[in-house]
Amino acid sequence: MHVLLVEDDELIASGIRAGLQLHGLTVDHFASVATAQAAQEAAAYDVCILDLGLPDEDGMALLRRWRTRGQHLPVLVLTARDAVEHRVAGLQAGADDYLLKPFDLDELVARLHALLRRASGRSTDRIDHGPLSFDASRGEALLHGVPVELSRRELALLRTLLQHPRQLLSAEQLRDSLYGFAQDVESNAVNVHIHHLRRKLGAGIVETVRGQGYRLGEIAW
Amino acid sequence: MKQPPSLRLRLLAIIGASLLGVWSLVAVWMLVDVRKELSTALDDRLAASARMVAGIVAQMPPPAVTGLPDTPVAHALDVVARDGLACEVSLLRGEVVGGPLARTAGSPGMASAPAGYGTYTFGGRLWRTFVLESGGLRIATADRIDVREGLLRDVALTAGVPFALALAASLLLLWAGIGRGLQPLEQLRAVLARRRPDDASPLPALASPPELRPLVDTVRHLLARTHAAIERERRFTDDAAHELRSPLTGIKTHLQVLRLAQGRPEHAATATQALADAERGVQALQATLEQLLTLARLDGPAASGCAEPADAEATARQAIADALDSAGTIQGARDAVPPEVQFHAPGAALAVAVPAPLLHAALRNLLDNALRHGASRSTVRLAIDQPTAGQVRFRVQDDGRGMSEAECAQAVQRFWRHSPGTTGSGLGLPIVQAIAQRHGGVLALHPVPEGGLAAELTLPACP
Repeated sequence: MHVLLVEDDELIASGIRAGLQLHGLTVDHFASVATAQAAQEAAAYDVCILDLGLPDEDGMALLRRWRTRGQHLPVLVLTARDAVEHRVAGLQAGADDYLLKPFDLDELVARLHALLRRASGRSTDRIDHGPLSFDASRGEALLHGVPVELSRRELALLRTLLQHPRQLLSAEQLRDSLYGFAQDVESNAVNVHIHHLRRKLGAGIVETVRGQGYRLGEIAW
Repeated sequence: MKQPPSLRLRLLAIIGASLLGVWSLVAVWMLVDVRKELSTALDDRLAASARMVAGIVAQMPPPAVTGLPDTPVAHALDVVARDGLACEVSLLRGEVVGGPLARTAGSPGMASAPAGYGTYTFGGRLWRTFVLESGGLRIATADRIDVREGLLRDVALTAGVPFALALAASLLLLWAGIGRGLQPLEQLRAVLARRRPDDASPLPALASPPELRPLVDTVRHLLARTHAAIERERRFTDDAAHELRSPLTGIKTHLQVLRLAQGRPEHAATATQALADAERGVQALQATLEQLLTLARLDGPAASGCAEPADAEATARQAIADALDSAGTIQGARDAVPPEVQFHAPGAALAVAVPAPLLHAALRNLLDNALRHGASRSTVRLAIDQPTAGQVRFRVQDDGRGMSEAECAQAVQRFWRHSPGTTGSGLGLPIVQAIAQRHGGVLALHPVPEGGLAAELTLPACP
């Protein structure tokens, strides 16, 4: 899962980033509305964690702008202000969920998964794909009922593919969702993880569309 | 405090007492007048009766003047007696009064009364007498004083009962009238009693008389001021909650990261970093709490004066040492050049009318700001001087990016920050401002033309 984190408090941001990474999520962190907006336009994110008190503009303004433009990126609003009117205003502006600081990291992760599930129209965290069964929130993959040992990057890659079935994903998109925006990664790093995934789950799991990118493929029974 | 009586009772008492006093005086005056008039009239009647008897007696020879019935004298005395008077006719031989020739029934012996008017006790009763001496005859007339008093009492009673009734009716009308007159006050009370404590709306328009308008206006202003104060406090609480929650969230998140990373050797670096970050959060939280507590203590009643003055130079040196110490631990790892503060103080020792811990806190906040925002760490300056004999001025100057005049005005507001995300609690300058105001001093911020910000804290000096 590729998370866009918009938070100006450096201490909180570093904590969320480390925590989500430990849960196997990929996080891009931005500290202002302007940079977050640019990032959202440049890369594909699955979900956004948005703090409201930002230095250049109110986070609510960014949210409202996205929604009027038809941008449906699921947004979880983080705020330290607990008055009910703040909460109502956030939800009315188009927030999908609302979490009050200080929050529980596990709860944050669970809510992010729930947001994603809702966005893709599923009711559980389990994605079944042929003989493969994948639990998105726990990061567990079962092939024919047998657990498969996958690294963090491999899990993220599989998650991205399963969450966008039938969709063509460019190498850059996959790289962003694996490593995030900020990290400098060698160009063949994605290929290495695709190779490992094919070895562990069968060659058909990733379909290569020559010159354009990759797509979720069928796994032979 | 003793509760004053109701306004209505008070008005009634004042007006009623005045009314009663004035009318009582008038009544006494009238009574004295009537008594005098009555007295004169009755005296005139005594004299007239005596002259009438004298006239009748003068028309007959002395021997005929006897007390026998059916004589003209006896008739005259009967007429006099019917009016309630006593009369005696006696012979006068030189200075000696002979036995009475004739007298009315019940007449006391009046031989001893001299000529003219007099008041005597005969037979245990007070009598008013008139004695006429002419032609060898002495005619004495008299009436009883208690009869006269009874007459006067009758007159007073006849006039007094309607007077008392009128007075009582006036008081009743007064009571009702005052109640009616006080109705606008009662209306105002009812409006105020109906208000909920959190009602922010202005008072409704009241048809108040001009005497009440200042009161209504004052109440209106008071309500507005109170509401503004409550609103300010609410915003402050909201801001304070935000300021405390942010570091708390950082600490909690990093502790959870630590728990997740524990026991996973590949995440050892993450765990170490999380622990360090959590500690940083605790420091930030502690600093904010300390500042909030300082500010809360400063909100109390002002206590100033020279009871415990602070030594300007010694306190400033201590504040510089402490500020450098904490700046060194926070920034030391990042900066190769250790921070430094240039200090200028006049030779003479100066005492400031602020307790040393508070002066120290104020200077620490100014120095921390300067060290935090200064561009190069070597040019933070603290100078002490005396603008006038009764004042000591501390001037802290940095060479950072400074602030505009408008930002300088905002900077003393609680939780204001030059830009969000900068470190600091947002309470430093409000604390300095509170310390200055509480001790009769002034905090002034202004941009330095060459770049940077100058903060001038002027405090009263002690001799």
